Amino acid sequence: MKKITLHKIVLSLAFSLFTTGAIAADSQLLEATHKDAGLVCKDCHINNMKDEVRMTTCIECHDTAELAETTAGHPITNPHENRHFGTETNCNYCHKQHEESVNYCGSCHLRFDLVTP
Amino acid sequence: MSKNKSPETKVMDQYTKNVLQNGISRRSFLSRATMGTGAVAFAGLTGSSALAETVDNQNLAKSSDGGATLDFMPKPKAIKDSQISSTQTFDVVVVGAGASGVPAALSAAESGAKVAVIQKQAIVVSQGNTGSGLDIKNCDKAGVEALVNRLLSDSAHRANPALLRKWAYNSGEAVSWVIDRTQKGGGSIVDQGTGPQHGIRGLTEYKLNFVTSFCGPKPYTTGDGMRDLAKVAEKAGVKFFFNTPANQLIQDPSGKVIGVIAQNRDGSYHKFMARKGVIVSAGDYQNNKAMCDFFIPDLKHFERKQMDRTGDGFNMVYWAGGVIEPIGHTKMLHDFDAGPASMCDMPFLAVNRQGKRFVNETVDMSLMNNYLRTAEDAGYYSQIFDSNYMTDAKDWPGKLWSPEEIKKYMPEDPTEKKGVYASQVNTFKANTLEELAVKLGCDPKTFKANVERYNELCKKGQDEDFGKPSNRLAPVLKAPFYGIHRRMRISAINSGMLVDVNQQALNADGNPIGGLFVTGNMAGGFYGGVDYPLTVFGLSLGRCYTEGYLTGKYVAKL
Repeated sequence: MKKITLHKIVLSLAFSLFTTGAIAADSQLLEATHKDAGLVCKDCHINNMKDEVRMTTCIECHDTAELAETTAGHPITNPHENRHFGTETNCNYCHKQHEESVNYCGSCHLRFDLVTP
Repeated sequence: MSKNKSPETKVMDQYTKNVLQNGISRRSFLSRATMGTGAVAFAGLTGSSALAETVDNQNLAKSSDGGATLDFMPKPKAIKDSQISSTQTFDVVVVGAGASGVPAALSAAESGAKVAVIQKQAIVVSQGNTGSGLDIKNCDKAGVEALVNRLLSDSAHRANPALLRKWAYNSGEAVSWVIDRTQKGGGSIVDQGTGPQHGIRGLTEYKLNFVTSFCGPKPYTTGDGMRDLAKVAEKAGVKFFFNTPANQLIQDPSGKVIGVIAQNRDGSYHKFMARKGVIVSAGDYQNNKAMCDFFIPDLKHFERKQMDRTGDGFNMVYWAGGVIEPIGHTKMLHDFDAGPASMCDMPFLAVNRQGKRFVNETVDMSLMNNYLRTAEDAGYYSQIFDSNYMTDAKDWPGKLWSPEEIKKYMPEDPTEKKGVYASQVNTFKANTLEELAVKLGCDPKTFKANVERYNELCKKGQDEDFGKPSNRLAPVLKAPFYGIHRRMRISAINSGMLVDVNQQALNADGNPIGGLFVTGNMAGGFYGGVDYPLTVFGLSLGRCYTEGYLTGKYVAKL
């Protein structure tokens, strides 16, 4: 049940990124988004609060292949399917939970001005 | 028999002896430390600090003089059998699915071996387009040896000649094999022959011909080529395990490597046992900052082109007894994407980020990084020319692109960005020098003053500032003006573990480590200069293919 709800949230987020092209920088941190979706710390920090969250935890709820399809027509590039990692880029490279997310692609690719939720 | 001889009595080449004496290994430090302690004891009481500093030798690597603790190379933590989720047994286990690992796996499988490839990343990863070998049947032996001599000279005579000869005499076969098999996987790869090898002109009076494989046109690269080759390997029975970074090598009591422990991205550990051998083709360490700062401090301020190259393979082989080449590893920095590759070595006026002329522009692009090592420069420079470039530079080395053709490389021009990387093109055109300066990120005043000074020198016909030959002095006078803004970023590091001519890792005694082989950019001995040479275009990939192809076959037949 939780899985389906979250999945829809991701799709709608991805869709809004695609359509508006940019999300204002004042959008909330993902920790708040996850909290709003009913998650608690232990859902991600499963064994120990100090453990870094593995990508396998993310993909328990987020389907990478579906996500890649959702952003397939992105006007700049499809961040979820690329020449470096296929559809399996480590989510944590771009999407930060407790700080602002980053434009990981933009550090090398000129004009890849992506806004990461 | 020779196995029991000490390195001092063994007949050994200069290169290998030097790496054994000056490289980084567990034993070299321990034995030198022992000697040091002895000397201190003899000298008296001042040695207490030296003794006190003997920290955790068992778990941290040390520099070759024992002075520095290499805490970026910690000993892998022991994994208990109870932590192992699965164990599978193969003949050959390849660590790393790239331009050397994939050919190694397929050639081993074609020789009848049961093969596993364990790969850290989610897909096969490789870069570049060109991989070269010698069409040996159409070469004079004197020509081949002249080329080997030139490559040694390019590497400041610090390479292992035996490894260069191995490439020279086997690469044609290996590269042709890669072309054939990659095509069978549906890959876009062709043999361009000797045509693209501009760099060998005048190198020898004897016959020299090449097999020059080309994966392309862009955005298709060797990465795609190796992914297509991996399809053929899978059909041949090779099993690929992605998202499975190798963590450590498994050794029997004699030290022979008999398998690999890898960790899935869920954190679980898995054993991959190898009856015949483990081939480590895990690439370089450009993304391991501490390791780069130690081995090549020059790289500090350059951007990295690759990701996840953290030197895991180095760590594994070191802790299994391997020896790392001493400080002073070979680096590779280019930019073939900002503007036409064939114009990269053309000696147009070059300015740095401030807009200052900084070099005699006949310096090859592959060496330009040496003038741009500071935080301010960070590898960026621009080639500047005016509307007369098609006539001014018509006899210069390389191939010119016309004003119409070069539009592909201009982000501001609507021309379709076909055959190039749209996010890496970086060529600009402007009607005034000030406007061009702004587009190239230079200070307009400095830029203009430097162009004017350069034009003065051109008029004089004598480059009093940098000594460039008069026939390379093309002034920048007629609008529109052009600038190719090149970014020297790190493509690869090409030095590493000491190996013999079979790519078998050697231990600190100079003896082969049973079951352990290293190929591709992770292997040492093939280069040795400050920079990767561009005498043979595609030498790097050609070397990776060749070492992979030969080693796969060799290990399968053990």
